[in-house]
Amino acid sequence: ETLVKLVSQQRIEIQKLRQGNNLILGFSIGGGIDQDPGQNPFSEDKTDKGIYVTRITPGGPADVAGLMMGDKIMQVNGWDMTMVTHDKARKRLTKKNEDVVRLLVTRKSLEEAVKQSMGGFPRP
Amino acid sequence: MEGNGEISDTDSGIILHSGSDSPTTHTKDVTTHTRAMKVKHQDLRDRLEICILELKKLCIREAELTGRLSEDYPLLPGEKPPQIRRRIGAAFKLDEQNIPQGAEDSQLSLVDAELALQMKIYEAARKLCEEEQLSKAVRRSRLQQCKREEKKLKQLQETSFQLRLEHGRSSPLPAFNITQQDLGTSDDSSLSDSVVQDEEVTSQSSQPSSGLPYPVETDPPQPAPASSHSSVDGSYMSPSVAKQSLQLNLPQSPLTSLDSKLSSDSSPLYDLPPIQHSPWTESSLDQPYQKSKKSRSSSKTSSPAKTELLPPLETCLAQAGLPVQLSHLRLSRTQSNSTPSTPEMRVHRQLSLRLSSESSFDKDRGRTRGPRRRLTEYAITLPQTPLPPVNLGHHANSEDSNSEHSFTSYNSSPCQESPGDLPKYQCAFPTSSPVSGYGPPAFSPSGFYHNPRHMSSPSIQNTYYNKEMVYPADRDMSPSYYPQQAPCSPNRYEYWYKDTAVPHQRAQRPLPPDVRLTPSAQWDHPQYRSNCLPRQVVNEQLKSWHRRSQLKAPRSRSLDRQGAVRMKNTSARESPCYPNQKYHDQLIQRAALQRAAEDVQGHWVADDGTHYISQV
Repeated sequence: ETLVKLVSQQRIEIQKLRQGNNLILGFSIGGGIDQDPGQNPFSEDKTDKGIYVTRITPGGPADVAGLMMGDKIMQVNGWDMTMVTHDKARKRLTKKNEDVVRLLVTRKSLEEAVKQSMGGFPRP
Repeated sequence: MEGNGEISDTDSGIILHSGSDSPTTHTKDVTTHTRAMKVKHQDLRDRLEICILELKKLCIREAELTGRLSEDYPLLPGEKPPQIRRRIGAAFKLDEQNIPQGAEDSQLSLVDAELALQMKIYEAARKLCEEEQLSKAVRRSRLQQCKREEKKLKQLQETSFQLRLEHGRSSPLPAFNITQQDLGTSDDSSLSDSVVQDEEVTSQSSQPSSGLPYPVETDPPQPAPASSHSSVDGSYMSPSVAKQSLQLNLPQSPLTSLDSKLSSDSSPLYDLPPIQHSPWTESSLDQPYQKSKKSRSSSKTSSPAKTELLPPLETCLAQAGLPVQLSHLRLSRTQSNSTPSTPEMRVHRQLSLRLSSESSFDKDRGRTRGPRRRLTEYAITLPQTPLPPVNLGHHANSEDSNSEHSFTSYNSSPCQESPGDLPKYQCAFPTSSPVSGYGPPAFSPSGFYHNPRHMSSPSIQNTYYNKEMVYPADRDMSPSYYPQQAPCSPNRYEYWYKDTAVPHQRAQRPLPPDVRLTPSAQWDHPQYRSNCLPRQVVNEQLKSWHRRSQLKAPRSRSLDRQGAVRMKNTSARESPCYPNQKYHDQLIQRAALQRAAEDVQGHWVADDGTHYISQV
């Protein structure tokens, strides 16, 4: 028996929202190489020190763009995010001169996993 | 009346024929049609049956794994849900990655495999223990089983860990991976934490130089560190860590943690893992980035850019001499002007962010006040002094040699200061105490700027020790020795060096002159260029420098060598042709700056390169 873990990669383009003097994105992140990965509630692998989306502001720019809680951010505008400190990740996402951030995220897709396992299931 | 014409009524499917056989045809068609329908119907039913069976089986499997039957289970009316048996054994799968494959060391791989298996066993035993509604006997036996498995697990972990330690620095890693695998998913955090701590403790005690389990984690195959850094790594930090930081873009990587490490002055860096595991924090991206967070991802204005570079530099301090991005930013702490610099230069990250002070400092330079200037110059003790703890001795030393190189070069371009300057010096000194620590200055050779002025006052003593102002009263010599300062981020800080250029008086100066030069292109060399030192003095200084450099670990930074070569050439020369000297120094300085710039550019370019490649 094998358990299939499927992740799907998504490209999410978030248009930052200007609020006063700030450009907000409407989500929160957790993780980083300087963080304890065991406490990440979203990661499947508890040694994964990647950056995960921990919260999405409903109706915010990230929500509108399709980002979901639990997504792991792999890249931001081409910059790798799998091996960064927490602060570095924040920096990369909150650059003041960038209005748009394009994220590459992976998302555990349970439905897909189930479908696939059923489809290929040759039980008589 | 019916004629020959056919009236076909498609709706009813009745075709009115004039023929006699129309009814039969019609019936046949209907029958055929019906039969076809029936067959189709039956087919569908069969398929449905098959699907339902599949679903049932899947549900049962799922229930076995999860412990409960899902509502999707297709139940015929009146049928009871089946009994499910929880199969703990199937609840996990050994991840391939945790089982070392093709490992050179078969023993290690064996242990690893056993470890992975044991982890699963333990996990299963634990889950069994937690099952509800156990009778006392069952529960007791399960608990015992669990404890046994736990012991076995720990033993295996120890073994594998020890094996790994023997095999290299990156050893603790995989153990951690395995340890943490699957443990964190459920409520095993306490176990994993304790295990992790055990490993950490062991690693720290047994191999202090490589006591950095975590940072090495993500990149087990550590590429050979850039050769230029190898010497630096040796004493400073676990090479693996250094490698890792080298690997990563410098701005990235364990900067933050290193920063925090640096701020804790006392312990040698290599004893603690550079990356601290903070509790998992979540930060909202809607808040503006605070400056206190060391780096701000703001626009490319100069100051943010500078601040961004800060952490890396601080890291560099730790790593002594990583050619971090050289920004033409000099972080200098302007204790300058007004107040006499306090003896203790506390380098705080924030303080070192005083770019503005730096600029003001620069301005000062041009200005007249001689003593003032010296003050400021001295004052720039490089905040870094305190920064890296003393353990940066090695690197500092190596740094020193660089500086000494430069120093000697400058030496030859003596500062023959008029006696009138001396008194100025004298007052200047007390204030500039913080300037020199005797700590090894970890600054990159790229930032050399020698201030000849300092050289001359014979009566001023400049013995600076780390964070202490030591004015050896008996020393009538003025030479500005800035003993190595605590290594500070090499590129970014300016080091001031009081040179022992005592032109006329002493030829003695046993003190090794450390000259720190700041890459301040803005400074006018001419200002500081005085006369040349007499050959004797130069020789003395060279000797002392040699002595000192021998004490220090050799620095294999390419920058160093280049600088060194140049310096030597320069210093070898006799009294300086002032213009020549100046030119040389400027050359060196420029070269240093260029190198710095190149470093920066190279660095960024590399980043950009990846950027382009990965972008879709």
